[in-house]
Amino acid sequence: MTIDADKLSGAESLRATRSYGKIRCHNPTCMERMVPEPGAKHAKCPTCAMEYRIYWVNSTLPRVRGPVWEVNRKLAEEKLAKMGGK
Amino acid sequence: MALDRKLAIIDLSTGKIETKVIPLDLRKKFLGGRALDAYLLYNHTKKGCDPLGPGNTLLISGGILTATCASATARTHFMAKSPLTGLLGSANMGGFFAPELAWAGFHHLVIKGKAKKPVYIYIHNGEIEIRDAAYLWGKTTTETQWAIREEMGDEEIKSCVIGPAGENLVTFANIMTGIKNAAGRTGMGCVMGSKNLKAVAVRGTMDVKIAHPVEALEFNKRFIEQITSAKVNQTQGVLGTPFIWGATNSWGGVRTRNFQYNQCEDSDDIEPERIDEICTETMGPHHMTGCFGCQVHCRAQYKIPSGLYAGKYDEGPEYTSLGAFGGEPDCKSAVTVLTGNHLVNQYGMDNLEIGSLIAWAMELYEKGILTSKQTDGLDLKFGNDEALLEMITRICYRKGWLADALADGGIPASEKIGKKSFDYLIQVKGMNNLHSDERGTPALALNSATASRGSDHLRSRPAIDLYHLPEKVLRRIYGNPVPYDGPLSSDHTEYKGKPWQVFWQENCYMAVDALGICKYHTVFLGATLPNFDDWPKVIYYNTGLEMTPQEIFEIAERSNMVERMFNLREGLTRDDLKKGDMLNHRYFDEPCRRGALDVVGAKIDKKKFMKMVDELYEFKGLDKKGIPKPETLKRLGLNKEPSHQL
Amino acid sequence: MDKVLAIEHEKCTGCRLCELVCSVKHDGVSNPARSRIRVMKWEAEGLYIPMACRQCDDAPCLNICPVKAISRDQELDFVRVDHDICIGCRSCVAICPFGAMGYNSIDSKVIKCDLCHGDPQCVRFCDVKAVNYVSTTQINLNKSREFAKKISVVSKEAEAL
Repeated sequence: MTIDADKLSGAESLRATRSYGKIRCHNPTCMERMVPEPGAKHAKCPTCAMEYRIYWVNSTLPRVRGPVWEVNRKLAEEKLAKMGGK
Repeated sequence: MALDRKLAIIDLSTGKIETKVIPLDLRKKFLGGRALDAYLLYNHTKKGCDPLGPGNTLLISGGILTATCASATARTHFMAKSPLTGLLGSANMGGFFAPELAWAGFHHLVIKGKAKKPVYIYIHNGEIEIRDAAYLWGKTTTETQWAIREEMGDEEIKSCVIGPAGENLVTFANIMTGIKNAAGRTGMGCVMGSKNLKAVAVRGTMDVKIAHPVEALEFNKRFIEQITSAKVNQTQGVLGTPFIWGATNSWGGVRTRNFQYNQCEDSDDIEPERIDEICTETMGPHHMTGCFGCQVHCRAQYKIPSGLYAGKYDEGPEYTSLGAFGGEPDCKSAVTVLTGNHLVNQYGMDNLEIGSLIAWAMELYEKGILTSKQTDGLDLKFGNDEALLEMITRICYRKGWLADALADGGIPASEKIGKKSFDYLIQVKGMNNLHSDERGTPALALNSATASRGSDHLRSRPAIDLYHLPEKVLRRIYGNPVPYDGPLSSDHTEYKGKPWQVFWQENCYMAVDALGICKYHTVFLGATLPNFDDWPKVIYYNTGLEMTPQEIFEIAERSNMVERMFNLREGLTRDDLKKGDMLNHRYFDEPCRRGALDVVGAKIDKKKFMKMVDELYEFKGLDKKGIPKPETLKRLGLNKEPSHQL
Repeated sequence: MDKVLAIEHEKCTGCRLCELVCSVKHDGVSNPARSRIRVMKWEAEGLYIPMACRQCDDAPCLNICPVKAISRDQELDFVRVDHDICIGCRSCVAICPFGAMGYNSIDSKVIKCDLCHGDPQCVRFCDVKAVNYVSTTQINLNKSREFAKKISVVSKEAEAL
């Protein structure tokens, strides 16, 4: 076996697939990409009803800090009611 | 040869110490670290041995890359039969211990027997001494480490130690080094306590050879760039592992109030961003620290801002402290989380296990299964921060009926409490589940059920399953180095293709533990992090050993199989709720009540789950009962174990 | 050239990668005991301070050396040891106020930072930039700017009030 020092590994070649400045909706059937305005503190999913609080790790790296609790609770209660109980 | 490394066998009963060179043949079969430990455990313990008796063997090791010019080779591995589960005991920690052990001349320690009185082992440049530890007994984890340094007059000594919990034989006592690095799971600290072994202290100024230093140095630079450029590691470098708890809580994947909720609502005060604010306020803007040779620096420094322990310095908290002292007991106070974290660090106890157990007791109290008489008057309700912190201390010192029962672990405690208490205990193989809720994620549920050391997220969790990666990206990761053309799905609520991902991750994590590097340097939380393809280079440049990615995968399969063989020898039975690859019924019966829109209502389909277990067994080469097929043992060269080569 | 190793210890994460790469670069082995840079730690307080040679203008090691084995490198402006002349008396080790002159008992040699001949590996590998290789004038300019920025923020706040 010889080591091919220059050859990119699978992980290294996957680096090109990294995206920046985006987050995903956390709803498993949605998973919509969202591009928050730089520095934005909130994001609303354009497809489903979820709303999120945003934190910026650095200027190109937003992350979902958590849902907007009131919206989250309301959606869950409605869904549970529809499912027929808690 | 860069691999002429040593192992020491230390018998605490007789005081006999033997040193041996680790044969190259065993290196090629097991590499080192956890993988070689598995071989040693299988060979150095007898079936049915008492985990707290002299017949149990404690393994301490670094990986094959430990202390070499590779990134983050800080990990120390511990292995023994677990006093918590009666099965495989295995735990891993960061810090600076294993590299120092390597510079002191050893990569593996095999500790047998039981000392008559408290002792500690001191290893210095190839010399091993068993020393009196009477003056250390009763001391906390950090007090012990600083006292050893003072006694020996050397500030550079690194020790792995037990605190009072290990001395008191709390079955989930851990082994610690530094301020907070902990080999947390499966009660390895309890095994040390049972051997009257308070600490292993090491100090070394010997060379660790590097086979190709110029290439190793250059490749390390490239490797580190791959690691630090990953978004997940940039986030870890700012928020530490609490970010994982925060992200998981956001969509409803965090166990809360034992298993009643899958999300800790209104958690703003314990979210990672808030913890980070406190760290900044108390330790300044540069409060992140790292383990040996690691550029991710995911460990935060803090001082407790208020309360009974105000001003105390500590490090962390990690994901598990947020789960243990925040989400699970539903105590949404940063001060409580930081205080709880400090207490378990000082006592030397697994935060994960204790948080789960207290939350379980809280649910039993809520349901009237535990009475206030049994809690000695403590109002053990959810959200009672003071009761939570009081329970931590009581369990460490076994104060009171309930604390004493819980200190024995979940299953023994459920037998003492009786009624339907066991039904509420969220465990696998006798070890409590991480504070994550896997009802919406079948792949993660399969991982928890089948992990070799009991419910666990660091043995086979395909965490990137949550990232909704395109199928072609998944194929590029999971289709290598062993070809796989079965199903793979971007949908993490799906069951298809998940067993292969769990199988692949199981081998990936075993390889990482054999190399002695950190899981944040591989496909755990980041899809673009190094794996099988990258490791031949780093192994070759540092040790001179030539390996293909396929060979590394096979080594991992072999080592996982040895762990399986150990578990089977000690009584693992496939569907046994206490000793098998099975989840608590609540995963199948109780739907999620919170979280993202379509997580609400989710639960695990038992039939599909059982089919996933079947498929995983097939990939592992096990029969339907979970027992290795003869041809599998032959293929992996394990048909003659125990072979007593070392 | 007036570049020096400038250490901003507040940024140090205590990982000791600098020690590792120093020994690999110079000696081809991993061994912090051979490293020319050492991270001093006060773990109980979470304080880490990397220490290395300051390449002093009026270097005590150079002055005390009885056989003149220590000299100043004209090109890179650092204090160097000529091991062919060195007799191993360790006077330099004893006199250095920073403990930056080490003694490697494996090879019986004094060891000190040689700035890796212009490409210090500790700097190259320090991701958090706790160790930098910068000109002395730049260090002081950076500090001035940093402090001036604080003043500017405060005065803007004062105006707002």
